[in-house]
Amino acid sequence: MAIKGKGFKRKSGASDEIPSSSLADIAFLLLIFFMVTTVFRTDSERPIIWPEAEATEKIDAKKKDILNIWVQQDGTIYMNDQPYQMEEVAPVVGPLYASTEQRLVISIRGDREVPYRIMDQLQSELVSAGVVRVVFATELEQRMTRARR
Amino acid sequence: MAVLNNKKSKASDEVPTSSMADIAFLLLVFFLVTTVFPKDKGLAIVLPEESEQVEVNQKNILHLVIQPNGLITVRRGEAQQEQTVTAADIEGIWRTDVAANPNLIAAVKTHPDAAYRYMIDVLDALQTAGADKISLQVLEN
Repeated sequence: MAIKGKGFKRKSGASDEIPSSSLADIAFLLLIFFMVTTVFRTDSERPIIWPEAEATEKIDAKKKDILNIWVQQDGTIYMNDQPYQMEEVAPVVGPLYASTEQRLVISIRGDREVPYRIMDQLQSELVSAGVVRVVFATELEQRMTRARR
Repeated sequence: MAVLNNKKSKASDEVPTSSMADIAFLLLVFFLVTTVFPKDKGLAIVLPEESEQVEVNQKNILHLVIQPNGLITVRRGEAQQEQTVTAADIEGIWRTDVAANPNLIAAVKTHPDAAYRYMIDVLDALQTAGADKISLQVLEN
């Protein structure tokens, strides 16, 4: 019984090229994913070292209802890329809070080494502006990193 | 001049699709570069309203005092004795104390010179333990 196509004569019918016809489909799929998830940054990040906390949870508020207040290590305060004095916080936040119909959430993004005095002053300012919902922005801390400390 | 009529257009009547992938990838790269995933997470707390002044019975307060060097001392209500603890111990302390007294309020008193992260550590421990009645204060002498 002769074996057909024996040895090296047999040729593979499969093409040796990568199929490229579905490349556009893949690209469009990724494209749509990134288009949907993109949020153009509203304010640029300040150079701070984030404090860490295990109980970190996501803020349950719409992006436009969140105001970031950055507190750098030297105590300078930034809102919407502008530096502010401590006394200017309440006059700026007050009208914003009213315009969002009390839905405004303040995200305090403080450097981990900021003296607490400044944080206390900031809280007093926010209270006098009438704001009650505040989030201390933190990075999620893993159990592992805590064990190492 | 009649020859003109015989000339057929060689242009294809289909939309060229070969560059579609290039266009898609170009847009893809643009969105990849500009994407910023929102980093809105942290420890939520509700500040008291300005007029809100509530008298609390001393025995319902758990005082947590944070010193500038990060040392934490715990004092229960009117008791004078203080206990120095680490942030990791607070979770257990809160759980046992709140089981004994469900009206317990945590009063976190931070020294003005203490670093913000020490307060966050305490707040984190309290929130991990499920505390919701937390008062943030600055330590007065």
